[in-house]
Amino acid sequence: MSSESKIQDLNRRTFLGQSSTGLGAAALAGLFQQDGLVSAAKNETSGLPELPHFAPRTKNIIYLFQNGAPTHVDLFDYKPELAKRHGQPVPDEFVAGKRFSTMTGKPQGKLLLGAVEPFRQRGESGAWVSDFLPHTASIADDLCFVKSMHTDAVNHAPAISLMMSGAQLPGRPTLGAWLSYGLGSESESLPRFAVMTSVSKGTSCGQIFYDFYWGAGFLPTRHQGVRFRGSGQPVLYLTDPAGISREIRREQLDDLALLNQIKLRKFGDPEIDTRIAQYEMAFRMQASVPELTDLSQESASTLERYGPDVTQPGTFAYNCLMARRLVERGVRCVQLMHAGWDQHNSLTTELYNQCRDTDRASAALVQDLKMRGLLDDTLVIWGGEFGRTPFLQGKLEDRPRWVRDHHPYAYTTWMAGGGTKPGISFGQTDEFGMSVVEDPIHVHDLQATILHLLGIDHERLTYRFQGRDFRLTDVHGSVAHQLFA
Amino acid sequence: MKLLFLFALIGLTCSLVDGSVFAASPSPEPVDFDRAIQPLLADKCFRCHGPDEAAREADLRLDLRGAAVADDADGDAAIIAFDSSNSDLIQRITSDDPDLIMPPPDSKLSLTADEKEIIARWINQGASYSTHWSFRPIQKPPLPTVKNKAWPRNPIDQFILARLDTERLVPTQPADGYRLIRRLYLDLTGKPPTRGEAESFVRDRSPQKYERLVDKLLASPAFGERMAWTWLDAARYADSNGYQGDQDRTMWPWRDWVIEAINQNQPFDQFTINQIAGDMLPAANHRQQLATGFCRNHMINGEGGRIPEENRVDYVMDMTETAGTVWLGLTLNCCRCHDHKFDPLTKRDYYSMFAFFNQTPVNGEGRSAQTPPVLASPTRVEVRSLDSLSTEISNLQQRVSQLESQQNEPVGIERSQETQKLLGKPVADRNTDELKTIRDLITETTLYAKTVEQLREAVSEHRNVQNSLPKVMIMKERSDRRPTFMLDKGLYNQPGESVEAAFPVSLQTSGDAAVTTRLDLANWIMADTNPLTARVITNRIWQGFFGIGIVKTAEDFGTQGERPIHPQLLDWLATEFRDSGWDTKHLYRLIVTSSTYQQSSRSTPHLRERDPENRWLARGARFRLPSWMIRDQALAISGLLVDQVGGAPVNSYQPSGVWEDATFGKRGYRRDSGENLYRRSIYTFWRRIVAPTLFFDTASRQVCTVTRSLTNSPLHALTTLNDVTYVEAARVLATRILDESPDASNQRLAEQVFRRVLIRPPEPSELDILTNSLSRLEKHYATQGDLAAQLIDVGEFRKSKSHAVARLAAMTSLCNLIMNLDETLCRE
Repeated sequence: MSSESKIQDLNRRTFLGQSSTGLGAAALAGLFQQDGLVSAAKNETSGLPELPHFAPRTKNIIYLFQNGAPTHVDLFDYKPELAKRHGQPVPDEFVAGKRFSTMTGKPQGKLLLGAVEPFRQRGESGAWVSDFLPHTASIADDLCFVKSMHTDAVNHAPAISLMMSGAQLPGRPTLGAWLSYGLGSESESLPRFAVMTSVSKGTSCGQIFYDFYWGAGFLPTRHQGVRFRGSGQPVLYLTDPAGISREIRREQLDDLALLNQIKLRKFGDPEIDTRIAQYEMAFRMQASVPELTDLSQESASTLERYGPDVTQPGTFAYNCLMARRLVERGVRCVQLMHAGWDQHNSLTTELYNQCRDTDRASAALVQDLKMRGLLDDTLVIWGGEFGRTPFLQGKLEDRPRWVRDHHPYAYTTWMAGGGTKPGISFGQTDEFGMSVVEDPIHVHDLQATILHLLGIDHERLTYRFQGRDFRLTDVHGSVAHQLFA
Repeated sequence: MKLLFLFALIGLTCSLVDGSVFAASPSPEPVDFDRAIQPLLADKCFRCHGPDEAAREADLRLDLRGAAVADDADGDAAIIAFDSSNSDLIQRITSDDPDLIMPPPDSKLSLTADEKEIIARWINQGASYSTHWSFRPIQKPPLPTVKNKAWPRNPIDQFILARLDTERLVPTQPADGYRLIRRLYLDLTGKPPTRGEAESFVRDRSPQKYERLVDKLLASPAFGERMAWTWLDAARYADSNGYQGDQDRTMWPWRDWVIEAINQNQPFDQFTINQIAGDMLPAANHRQQLATGFCRNHMINGEGGRIPEENRVDYVMDMTETAGTVWLGLTLNCCRCHDHKFDPLTKRDYYSMFAFFNQTPVNGEGRSAQTPPVLASPTRVEVRSLDSLSTEISNLQQRVSQLESQQNEPVGIERSQETQKLLGKPVADRNTDELKTIRDLITETTLYAKTVEQLREAVSEHRNVQNSLPKVMIMKERSDRRPTFMLDKGLYNQPGESVEAAFPVSLQTSGDAAVTTRLDLANWIMADTNPLTARVITNRIWQGFFGIGIVKTAEDFGTQGERPIHPQLLDWLATEFRDSGWDTKHLYRLIVTSSTYQQSSRSTPHLRERDPENRWLARGARFRLPSWMIRDQALAISGLLVDQVGGAPVNSYQPSGVWEDATFGKRGYRRDSGENLYRRSIYTFWRRIVAPTLFFDTASRQVCTVTRSLTNSPLHALTTLNDVTYVEAARVLATRILDESPDASNQRLAEQVFRRVLIRPPEPSELDILTNSLSRLEKHYATQGDLAAQLIDVGEFRKSKSHAVARLAAMTSLCNLIMNLDETLCRE
């Protein structure tokens, strides 16, 4: 009997009785398997067959991206010499040949600025963390600090683009898109690459979140990050229109699937099968996203850990908790972007706000993952696009307006879990935190390292476009094996 | 030669120690260098042994025969012609020694046994090289002969059929009338036919009916609107600058120029020259200057801390690379920093091309939305109002002069030295302030006072209109020539050797005239001898009708791009296009009137297996409509579409907070209302940092894009199911059908909706499902009055009160379903 006549043979009510639970389309799809028409849909969630290249150390990543560039010399990179020579001109040899943004112009003669708050050694590992970040300090033994990060770009958008996509100019696939393309997804009801953004309250120097920060570049667009919004519906067009109930929608989709199956039989276009599957996934997402954002089952102690903002959509704390919930539900890559770190206005006022808005929730996320046994499977990365100048932009006598400019030559990023070595501080900068002097880690090296933890050889995850095999790390990058547990 | 060949064969069989797979077969098939060998060498060897001098290892280059091949065994070269066994290259690629094997293990590249075999075969056949196919002059190929004389309608079909013959496939039967007319309307106008148009087409018995319809559609204004979209993608057109701040800009008069030029069938050479260098044409008119907005559509960076010169260099690079991709199909951007790894393009070539665009007064300042040079671009309405104001002003000026000369002393005016001075000034020279001063000095209401006031108002109005004219960024040439340097790593502040404007060396021909300006460049791009332009443009036009180009990599005709699947067809079409005087509509007409185009898109398991991507075209093409066309279709079938060509961009429905979230609240979205909600998609305001959310799979309009993205994601389903645009269209369609047949049965109603959306009549099984669906929906809504009331209230368009609420809601829901059918979303 042909598949088509099977459909006609099915008692319609019986069939719909099944399908109101969402089984209908799947059952029907089974009828067509023998005709080779059902294949694309399976591939929608699977990744490349050759991946992973080797045994992965971890499965997921949560990137806590600090947009605007946190000041490494005030937060992580303890430099007593900088404090000692506070207010003195920066020695020429430290800035010779270095390019800074037009706001600084020539760096010669700029005055050194000591850290605003005191540093202390923390935990068993003795890692130096500033008093600005008490919560992060309390989990120092779980963290792997990379103090020797450096980058090529001196302005925000190109530097963030480089961090996310390996190239300064927009248009390349980003880390999450590469992972979606290469590894696929474990979730059938949530997007594989999720993005959430937040802004520090009262910040005066916000950067825009360009969609190319989570773009798919030339990869198929289904790999681009799906932005979960902080206001309104978490995913655009997620809710049914007024006047269409779930029940009506289900029946609509059942009929839609039946009609599309007839079409599939007649025209034999496998894309039709994919379309049926995607409409079903859309239906499931409509249920799974509200379940995702329903925090009623979170314990009071968990919420307390993330801080009072945690119930406010659009805050960093809320996004951190959401990141854990996404990873729990099989989403492979979660990219949080928090803006407000661009301290052109004041280190002595606004920096406190930035830290207040991010410190507690960042630490809470790591602890929460650890307590749930998810930290081994999840790599958490915390860092920005560059550092800030050890010298002052502004006047020494005007403490309320102390400012540091963009600084690509050295900065700190920390990682937790995901197969990284906890409780270490890797790499070193000079006595002012101006340049890396030991174990430099370029942006491309960090990317290669992240991919390695996920079982991917960064040189072999490539995509051909415009006649060239592109990869995340361009033609650079080496894996920092010293960071692995 | 023969002897040498024989000797080589003997040598080969005797000398291969490892009992190689390369033993010469009795009748070795000739290996085509460009198709089989060049891509292999480029992929696996050129990274270190290719055109890029800086990356070259062991002083060996394999991209030039002179450097790679020796014609006798004593030669010092990696390849010995006719003698693979004595060629170092073969020894290296077949070596077991990790220190010798090529490509080296750390490159992560490797050659398969088949690849090694074909290289050896090619060497044994003499290791001949040939020019890359797209760089060879285009010659019109002879038409192939085919046995089936009945099927071909024009030469396209002969080429396709000849290929199908060799593949032992036969064409699919023609699409039925309803499907064909829907396909043709969507392809040529971006809108479906009305039912009336479809019915009269299907009933028409005239053999010329199809051709007549094609001509009618090519002549409709909707044609230009439909075809402009892909050109706007390529031109990275947007209504804002991009980057931080993302200020609004006014480039839409350029967009309207494109639509008009396409509708007027401006020959493609003029279309090109106008956009690259219209400002440099002798006595360039307003339209020609406006056309150069093409070059200025790049993003403008207003980020604090950016150095203007760095921005300026970025813009010139963008112009250069865009031109390279749009007309030449070349990826010039690799050459910013180094010679091309694969194509015969050097860093010098890049900066020589850059030099053409490096002569504008654009200064790289990012803060203004309209960085000069700009051109005031009045609309027709504005031209009329300026004209009539000018006439009014000159009339009033005459009257004032008359009145002043009639009376020696204007009545009621207080006299002073200042007044005398003002009155001494010719009327035409007095500005609005002066006119106001005079007016204010008059204490009584007189004819004179009234006339002066009218004149003041007219002059002020004229100035207001003049100031409010949209100013479009265009190209101009500096008076002095700006020197151009090769930039180290592409960095603006690392100038190296200076270069002059020139075409890429490997594309120069002896007949090229001396070149210095952008106009020279434009003329060279469109010269009959240019091997790339005609092929590249023809391929992109083909891509629009078949979903995939004859060359799949529409953006890359270089050595790493795909070889054409129907090379002779591409060259035939390219020459036909060129020799027709670049008559674009002629090319469109040829394509859509071919039998190839008119085939049904039904597939079979056999065809899917033999040709899954339908490259040979044994069946018609079937693919999802671009998202903008899905919206235009929904507006058209519901009758909401407002057909008004051109004008300022509009803001249709968009969920709240999207712009605000992306810009920290700096750019608030203000939705339009009324007719602006229902304009064609091409008029939607395009914010560059966050494109309109109701479109999906679109080019970002940040950089030049010439390929199409057709993905299939749940987010698309959510959009067409839930967006108010689509739900409102469903509601209005439902209302319209009920208005027409208020007493019709459910079956009749379902059929009406189906035919309005899909044009063809439904099959009985389809109609059955839909009729049942409608009846069930009606029952649902009859018991859930609140739901029904909500559904028939979606969107701004006026609500109908003439139908039972449950019935209208059920019909709306049914329309929503039908508008989401796979067939609705596709052209088939």
